[in-house]
Amino acid sequence: MKSKLALIGALLAVYVGVPLAFGGDSYVMSLVVASMVIGGVALSWALLGNLGGMVSFGHAAFFGVGAYTSALVSMKLGVPVLVAILMGGGGAVVASLLMLPVLRLRGPYFALAILAYAHIFRILATEWTSVTGGSGGLASVPRLPEILGYDLSTKTGGYLVILTIVLAFAALYHFIRVSHYGLALRAMHESEDATRVVGVNSTLLKGLMLVVSAFMCGVVGAFNAHYINFLEPDYAFSGLWVTLPIVAAIFGGYRTITGPIIGAVVVYLVDQLIFKNIIPSGHQLVLGVLLVGMIVFSPEGLLSLVRKFMRKKHVAA
Amino acid sequence: MLQLENVSVTFGGLTAVDRVTLSIETKDVVGLVGPNGAGKTTLFNAISGLVRPSGGRIMFDGADVVAAPMYRRARMGIGRTFQIPQPMHELTVRQNLLVAQRFGTGKVDQKKIDEILEFTSLGAKAGRDAATELALTELKALEVAKALATNPRLLLLDEVLAGLETTGKRRFMGMLKDLHAAFSVGIVIIEHDIETISNLCHRVAVLDFGQVIADGTPAAVFSDPAVIKSYTGAEHA
Repeated sequence: MKSKLALIGALLAVYVGVPLAFGGDSYVMSLVVASMVIGGVALSWALLGNLGGMVSFGHAAFFGVGAYTSALVSMKLGVPVLVAILMGGGGAVVASLLMLPVLRLRGPYFALAILAYAHIFRILATEWTSVTGGSGGLASVPRLPEILGYDLSTKTGGYLVILTIVLAFAALYHFIRVSHYGLALRAMHESEDATRVVGVNSTLLKGLMLVVSAFMCGVVGAFNAHYINFLEPDYAFSGLWVTLPIVAAIFGGYRTITGPIIGAVVVYLVDQLIFKNIIPSGHQLVLGVLLVGMIVFSPEGLLSLVRKFMRKKHVAA
Repeated sequence: MLQLENVSVTFGGLTAVDRVTLSIETKDVVGLVGPNGAGKTTLFNAISGLVRPSGGRIMFDGADVVAAPMYRRARMGIGRTFQIPQPMHELTVRQNLLVAQRFGTGKVDQKKIDEILEFTSLGAKAGRDAATELALTELKALEVAKALATNPRLLLLDEVLAGLETTGKRRFMGMLKDLHAAFSVGIVIIEHDIETISNLCHRVAVLDFGQVIADGTPAAVFSDPAVIKSYTGAEHA
């Protein structure tokens, strides 16, 4: 009961409180939306890492493929934007299916292979000029629509859309984690043979997680394309779409569901609102230092650090 | 049920299992014995799908299963335990059985899980973390319990008694004696202790240098001069 009330309170805060508090300041609101986009990618990355046991440096591929798929089907085929965004997720799924052969690789080999794959899509987007517009990119990607008289193409509208996407994915993640599949996936980390010998098709389960993760990341990339109305290969497939989310996920705690999202919001907003003002160029240096500190002092992430701190304070009092 | 026909397993130049032909039926409780390095565990690995034989056929219910991956063989009804217990990490004892049952049989049956927990004396530990909170006897019992949860028709037990202290061993023996009848499962058990084997099994197969050198009743096999020779470590001609 108490946790249900807390959940409702939190939902009210993010759906009503945040727009009321920052809705008037379009600069802050745009930073919040950008942080949520990174949070969505971080969540999808963490799902693959936590449930699938795979470290991916290739999520920029899913992000970019999702963005391009959605932009193209809405521009060339006239598909409604919200449907196109889901199809963007579908495009990323197709891209992930092409990656299935590398699933048999482990650890650093998987990470490298998927990184190489990501570059293939970037090159494709650059060179396939007749469809993607080449390195010049796509201008005037359709905006988010109006729904029930409410214009989603505003900063606040975009915020509500990405918030809904991220929360829906967090719920999906939660349901996978508590399912029988989730149990088997958890066990596979440390004891893959133990799961296979009782009938778990571990390769299939890992493949499913890659597909789910790719879908999530693709949808977020697609949202972003319609939100900023513009796409170019260097932006859509930028390595930042994978490094920032990794930093955020590790910072927040990649084995939790809320950690990557909160990590993204905290890391991005602190970086943009504080560090950027102190050190205008090279402010991301501070993030690097913080990340190293985090890994050394609290590898479980930000939330567990806060919890540790609270406990100490409690004991002291 | 299980027919091995000239099964060989080689690692580089080493032949660990050498043209083994063996047949196991549901009614069987077979002891697989032999000196260290004779290829007993490797034979289990070949049957369960952990290693691929370099030659021969492994027939289960009339179908060659050599190409089937380990998880599929588990679903067909080939269950096994590992000599070094392999609990599923991060899960409780009950969740270990749940995963084994759900993926091994495709269904969930909590009543059956309770029965297995009861049978393997793990009922009191059902909520414990399997990888970190169990004693060795319990880990060994969990190996058996997980395999049982997949509803096997053939159970390969790899030294489930090794390393247990006397009381634990006695209790475990009691369980093993009932296992065959309670779950109507064919059993092959690797074990070094001749007394244990004679006590549990009505049939013994002896493996030496990868080959079956004897197969018969415990009394006949353990009085076979060739077996005694390999067991006492006498020189091989």
